[in-house]
Amino acid sequence: MAKALDDTLRVKRTVKHFDFSEPYWEGTRQKKLVIQYCKATGKYQHFPRPVSIFTGKRRDIEWREVSGKGVVFSYTIAHRGTPAFRGTEPYAVASVTLDVGVNFIANLINCTAEEIRVGMKVKPHWHPLEDGTHLLMFQPDRDAK
Amino acid sequence: MALRDNAIVAYAETKVMEKSDRDVFVLAGEMLEALLDKTGIDKNEIDGLVMAGLTGTGAANPFWAQTTADVLGLEVGFCEQVHTGGCSAAGCVARAAAAIDYGMCEVAFLLFADTHVLEDRTDHSHSYRREWTDPYGLMGPPGAFGLLSRAYEAKYGLDYGMLGKLAVTQRNHALMNENACEKLRVPITIDDYMNSRMIADPIRLLDCVMRADGAAGLMMMSRKRAREEGLTKCIIPIGYAERTNFKGGENLVDVTKSGHEICGRKALGAAGLGIKDIASFHPYDDFIIAIMLQLEAFGFCKPGEGVQFIRDHDFSYDGDLPLNTGGGQISAGQAACSSHNLVEAVRQLRGEGGKRQVKDTRNALVTGIGWINYGRNWGSSAALVLVPE
Repeated sequence: MAKALDDTLRVKRTVKHFDFSEPYWEGTRQKKLVIQYCKATGKYQHFPRPVSIFTGKRRDIEWREVSGKGVVFSYTIAHRGTPAFRGTEPYAVASVTLDVGVNFIANLINCTAEEIRVGMKVKPHWHPLEDGTHLLMFQPDRDAK
Repeated sequence: MALRDNAIVAYAETKVMEKSDRDVFVLAGEMLEALLDKTGIDKNEIDGLVMAGLTGTGAANPFWAQTTADVLGLEVGFCEQVHTGGCSAAGCVARAAAAIDYGMCEVAFLLFADTHVLEDRTDHSHSYRREWTDPYGLMGPPGAFGLLSRAYEAKYGLDYGMLGKLAVTQRNHALMNENACEKLRVPITIDDYMNSRMIADPIRLLDCVMRADGAAGLMMMSRKRAREEGLTKCIIPIGYAERTNFKGGENLVDVTKSGHEICGRKALGAAGLGIKDIASFHPYDDFIIAIMLQLEAFGFCKPGEGVQFIRDHDFSYDGDLPLNTGGGQISAGQAACSSHNLVEAVRQLRGEGGKRQVKDTRNALVTGIGWINYGRNWGSSAALVLVPE
């Protein structure tokens, strides 16, 4: 029987933000997922950039709240963690395609290794950090149709 | 003047070490001395220094190339450090040729020296990693290739045993390469590959490159100058292309496709060759699956047919498509700024492969992969076609 996946919630995390990412982190204080949207092309982008990756212009960027629901695009099970994560292995890191058409990499928790599938529906789990922001993680959306 | 008017006139290489027993500048000096000895060129004739930017030891020094020129007593008209990660070695050849064509230098010393095990000054913190992957414990390249492998598997299916076949072939080549890292010169089987411990499932230990220390160097000049110097067994670059941040302005790209598709078309087009004409293949290997993805991207087979292609072909030095005949980085060690596969191709085309000499030395295709981007595959791709003079 394989070892159950760890939720990694006990790992201490201090995230140093880029100044151009700050609206994202501000949103997480209220457990809101706020990502960049390009007004000129009508497309979202993640991770945050100083400009639209579609037009190259800073003025085309605005921030919009999105649902955080999506499907697993890919995943890996870490059997050898990064130094801060040693002792929590195995744990899952997934690339999730959000319903607004961007991929977001985060831990996938509250599920077993056997349950994870590419294409599996997931929803946000907000993990509180010491500075009042929250870290976005994903969990299976078992109620999703 | 064009790329193909230039020549690689000599190569030099140290043995790959688990950890260097001497300073990186000593390794650089050894490469300089070896190239001067092999060519008979006077040190004062060197007027170009072209170094790979893929260095752990030099990473924190913004004056690394100038510092190295000073340490070696070189006065140059072209002093360059090439920052395309694991594409740097091939990129150095193209940039040296361009500089020679333009008249910025006549005799270029290409230096790939690094001791990133002994002293690593790499810092990735001013990148996406600190906000978007480090907080989730995604382990650098193995984690990224874990995501990439699973995405490939979901799209096409993946027989990991065939990746094991590539791992075994490369290991067998390292057994014949006295310059490969001694720690890696141990035979392996496909079962050993399959049973090696998971690092970032589905990435296993024997998928991964091991960092090691060492150095290599090349000397380049125009073919005309090489003839004047009486230098023979020259190797000519006849096609080169690189692509950084492939589809970087798009979301939700097909991660099984890379800039190598573009590089392959351009480099082979410049060379006037088709992919079926390639006599030996020296693809960048940081993870075994990268080799398979390149077989597809360069058109040896169609997308999704990499496993079948591996099953159908023999990649040994004496097989139908010799591949990374020095062991690749995965079985020789990731040393010398990832120049290993380039230097091996030069050696083979000169007919100096010894026990592992390939029969067909009409040409060789060398590639590069550099940097890991967010949730895709890799940041830079490169392709270089070489032929003997």
